[in-house]
Amino acid sequence: MDWSVIATHLPFLMKGLWMSVKLATLVVIFAFPLACLIAVGRISSRSWIRYPSAIFVNTMRSNPLILIVFWFFFLVPIIIGRPVGDFASVMIGFIVFFSAYFTEIIRSGIQSVGRNQIQAGLSTGLTYFQTMRMIVLPQALRNMMPALITECVIVFQGTTIAYVVGLREFLNSTFLITEITLRPAELYTFAAIVYFVVCFAGSSLARQMEKRKVRT
Amino acid sequence: MSDPLVDIRDLSLWYEKFKALDNISTSFTAGKCVVICGPSGSGKSSLLRCVNRLEDFQEGDVYFEGQSLRECPNIASLRSNIGMVFQHFELYPHMTILDNITLAPRHAKGKSKADAEAHALTLLERVDIVDQAHKHPAELSGGQQQRAAIARALALEPKLMLFDEPTSALDPEMIVEVLRAMRDLANDGMTMLVVTHEMGFAREVSDEIVFMDEGKIVERKETNDFFSNPHSKRAQDFLDRILMKI
Ligand SMILES: Nc1ncnc2c1ncn2[C@@H]1O[C@H](COP(=O)(O)OP(=O)(O)OP(=O)(O)O)[C@@H](O)[C@H]1O
Ligand SMILES: [Mg+2]
Repeated sequence: MDWSVIATHLPFLMKGLWMSVKLATLVVIFAFPLACLIAVGRISSRSWIRYPSAIFVNTMRSNPLILIVFWFFFLVPIIIGRPVGDFASVMIGFIVFFSAYFTEIIRSGIQSVGRNQIQAGLSTGLTYFQTMRMIVLPQALRNMMPALITECVIVFQGTTIAYVVGLREFLNSTFLITEITLRPAELYTFAAIVYFVVCFAGSSLARQMEKRKVRT
Repeated sequence: MSDPLVDIRDLSLWYEKFKALDNISTSFTAGKCVVICGPSGSGKSSLLRCVNRLEDFQEGDVYFEGQSLRECPNIASLRSNIGMVFQHFELYPHMTILDNITLAPRHAKGKSKADAEAHALTLLERVDIVDQAHKHPAELSGGQQQRAAIARALALEPKLMLFDEPTSALDPEMIVEVLRAMRDLANDGMTMLVVTHEMGFAREVSDEIVFMDEGKIVERKETNDFFSNPHSKRAQDFLDRILMKI
């Protein structure tokens, strides 16, 4: 074993890691608000909003990420009519895919707050908007925090798929270095440790949040 | 005779295709305590929820102090004059008891924080749990939570209180303390509509009994009259069954 390869190529690897973090962060930043909208559609009483939302969510969730990424990679330029660049195409695929998963988390978060809580708020003369803001959303957010954090970790792992279009995220960078140095054992072990640390940090945070969850 | 506080006229309510309330007309006078009873699914909760339009009824109308609920331009402000107490308390678990009670007075009625809190504390005193003010609901017993929920409703300084089976989620020893708070309220002259299976409470405290079945009011009588000679067969059966259990 020769661990010095890692030290030698650390700047390049860190650049890859930074790319992964950037991808994951952007995906979460865009997918979350999108998911909030779709989640509200999912629980809408109007079927012409509810059904399309449900179809969207179920289509995304029944396909592998790599298919969705490929699909958008080729579809987006056709829809827009011109190439938008690898990064943008891949980002759109990720955002659309993960927004479906976030949607389900948000939906169940809102639904975890009983209908009766809304009725209680309304019965005291608060408006629907006040009831949502002061009674439902704080509880929903707290209840879904653990699942949200876990999903963010999954997004981070999911960004490895970006290698298919040649983006140099962390795993792809590691792969490139193994090609040069022929030291796959050390490098992939290192990569595994990095992923483990990120995942562990995330799940510890999620566990902590779980403890703070609203008891009902 | 003075105008009724609540006047229900030809009220019908459907859930999808199912008719839960069937052409109900009745009224409730200020200062009276009326118990609503009847078998499960007879529409008691639905009727109560129509009185503050938590349920959007399709036919007929409800008048509160002469104001039509159907045409009410600001239903939230109307609701802030009607307190409601739920079977499962429905306190807000992420807030302290004090915040639970002051939320609506502050944000629906525009009271200052200081005023709302001072009033909340006197109400908590009244239901005997002033020492719990700064705790969260989960730290209280069921009976204490329900009394806190009563205080939250009273904080609206309501003209009417609606109770939907306020004791049926409670252990027997806690039922007593909640019923006591309700009895005190009735004795103070609060107008109350109470859905309950507590026939002891009904007999002792209420002025009138409404018996419902299949979305209709089958019988309505003065309390003493109801217990001594209910004439509908269904009310008779219901009473037999429920008194048998006690
Ligand atoms: N949100 C709803 N959607 C569909 N049906 C409903 C809904 N709420 C009540 N129902 C139905 O309407 C009927 C009357 O319900 P309601 O809750 O008013 O009865 P209840 O007399 O309060 O019964 P219980 O003693 O069980 O509380 C029942 O058959 C019930 O199944
Ligand atoms: Mg009921």
